[in-house]
Amino acid sequence: MSGFALHPDMKVIVQGATGRMGSRHAELMKQYGTNIVGGIAGASVRRAESAIPLFDHCADAVAVTGAQASITLVPPMDVLKAVTEALEAGIKLIVSPSEGMPVRDAIVACHRVREHGAHWIGPSTPGLAIPNKLKLGFIPDVSLVSGPLGVMSKSGTLSYETCFRLGSRGIGQSTWIGVGGDSVKGSRFAELLPYFHRDADTRALLILGEIGGSEEEELAEAIRQLGFAKPVFVLLAGASAPEGVTMGHAGALVQGGRGTVKSKTEALRGAGARVFTRIEDLVNGVLASDV
Amino acid sequence: MLLLEHDAKELAREQGIPVPAGVFVDSRSADGAHFPGGGAWVVKSQVDVGGRGKAGGIGFASSKEDIAAFVHQHADAAIRGHKVAGFRVEEKIAFAYEVYLGFMVDAAQRGVRVLLSAQGGVDVEAHAQHGDAMLTALAMPDEASLVAAATPLVVQLPPELRAPIGEAVAALARVFLHFDATLLEVNPLFVRADGSWVAGDMKLSLDENALERHPELERVVLSRPSVYREAVFKLEQGFDYVEIDSRGQVGLLTTGAGLSMMLIDEMLQAGLHPYNFCDVRTGLLRGVPTRLIEVLKQFARGGDIAVVLVNIFAGITDLDEFARLLLEALDAVPEVKVPVVARLIGNNLEAATRRIAQSGRAITVETDLDKALRLAVARAGVVA
Repeated sequence: MSGFALHPDMKVIVQGATGRMGSRHAELMKQYGTNIVGGIAGASVRRAESAIPLFDHCADAVAVTGAQASITLVPPMDVLKAVTEALEAGIKLIVSPSEGMPVRDAIVACHRVREHGAHWIGPSTPGLAIPNKLKLGFIPDVSLVSGPLGVMSKSGTLSYETCFRLGSRGIGQSTWIGVGGDSVKGSRFAELLPYFHRDADTRALLILGEIGGSEEEELAEAIRQLGFAKPVFVLLAGASAPEGVTMGHAGALVQGGRGTVKSKTEALRGAGARVFTRIEDLVNGVLASDV
Repeated sequence: MLLLEHDAKELAREQGIPVPAGVFVDSRSADGAHFPGGGAWVVKSQVDVGGRGKAGGIGFASSKEDIAAFVHQHADAAIRGHKVAGFRVEEKIAFAYEVYLGFMVDAAQRGVRVLLSAQGGVDVEAHAQHGDAMLTALAMPDEASLVAAATPLVVQLPPELRAPIGEAVAALARVFLHFDATLLEVNPLFVRADGSWVAGDMKLSLDENALERHPELERVVLSRPSVYREAVFKLEQGFDYVEIDSRGQVGLLTTGAGLSMMLIDEMLQAGLHPYNFCDVRTGLLRGVPTRLIEVLKQFARGGDIAVVLVNIFAGITDLDEFARLLLEALDAVPEVKVPVVARLIGNNLEAATRRIAQSGRAITVETDLDKALRLAVARAGVVA
């Protein structure tokens, strides 16, 4: 499997291109500059109105357009099927925004992605973007500003807010990847770290993390192992969530004293990261440093 | 979501898993109930959190009077902040061994972890720390893979346990898969002197994302709205809502799980008292105020709510449309009379601000979240 990579002009197809969400976001991504080369149509609907070429299957779309990436704008119960179809068509990068994908489906999808030597971002993510060049998903334009921060986030809205504040004060992003709020996901913080390590446009890393799971701890380990030398700023949400109660994100769950803000903070600080639990404190911390 | 032990055992029993015969009682039904077996019972507090045994939530009884006494004594208890929902009274099992057997989703490894220890019981974690290793293996979420992963673990058990645990592994793996569980833990798993086995305790955690393909599980969840409160709300309304503090002073009408969670953290750090968490998902309002009305109805029950703080970061949502829905929702729930501070930012803000101003309602619009929070505090007259 080759490393995770993004190219601003990569050819992208939209799976579920004729649904309510799909048709709208296909158009918005295209307007943003993403090279949308085709869509996969549902059995029904408005083919005539589509502004992008439509195909019945991923394999047809790939054969005709040479697409390398896809975004699956399909209902959560259909994500596994869509991911599988994209992989079998030879797609190497898949982004799945859908919220509510069953965990077992996500495990199976992860294995198929690995077998095919591909990369999968999501589920439950607003997607990824390189400001002014590429958007796969629906990260709001108002938050997307070109700049030095490599961004990885478990939360859509928290990243919109934080990057909006930073962007308004002159600090934008190099690449922004929403890894998603589910527990089982295609790409975890630590797995994407080498991309930001290599990426010359990234001068510092911004992580929007959350309670639950072990991704932040794994990231701390990866920072050490890789000798990642760029400054790392982390905002952690969920310090006040009661144990055993999920707040919206299935992955954000403290169980048996594991996955706490304390554990994550200690691990990340041990790896040299600066950790915050208020948005404004993080923003001020980034502004005060020379990134 | 973690099911009550009683619900987990009854669901597992229907799938052919041996469990001790038991009944569910509460303080009203305990006195007249008929209890299975004779002479010796275990009375187990039903609560959707672990650590119950060590918190004194389990009692032993040798008469109906003992049972009733335990029930009445513990009926209003809470274990680690979770209210006891009732009691499962079951026959006491005579056993030769207590084994630990668990299946759980391992998110980091993207598989299902099988866990097995010949020394189960409440001290399983202490045993593990003393070097009585928990045997584990990773598998894919299918029966063949789970059984294949567990087999090399089972052969490490004492000879007399291998046959019953081998059988238990296959049976419980099927249940784990059948219910799309994220956790199925049986501890203790009793093995009797005759080699038969029975699930002494059971933790079954369900994947809420998979509930829609399991109507039988949905029925169980919906049958206990006071226990599975958040899950029932989500099933019925389609979005997340969690009451944080019934005496909370700030009702939060917000979108986005991560940002809403962060806002609550920041409020608590500042000494404020949020009433709730919610993620209404403005992208899914579809032109009707139903979700907003539902949240406001919850606020109507919060006697101490002094202000409503709205936070909408509209990346794609049209704020003018949202403002219209918010005004409609406030009209529909006149019980909510407190001031509203609306932090709105994004698409079509000007039109939204105009619309709100024209409504004549006590709604303050602010674009900066920290300022909106300060305004909410000032409006509410609450002191941090």
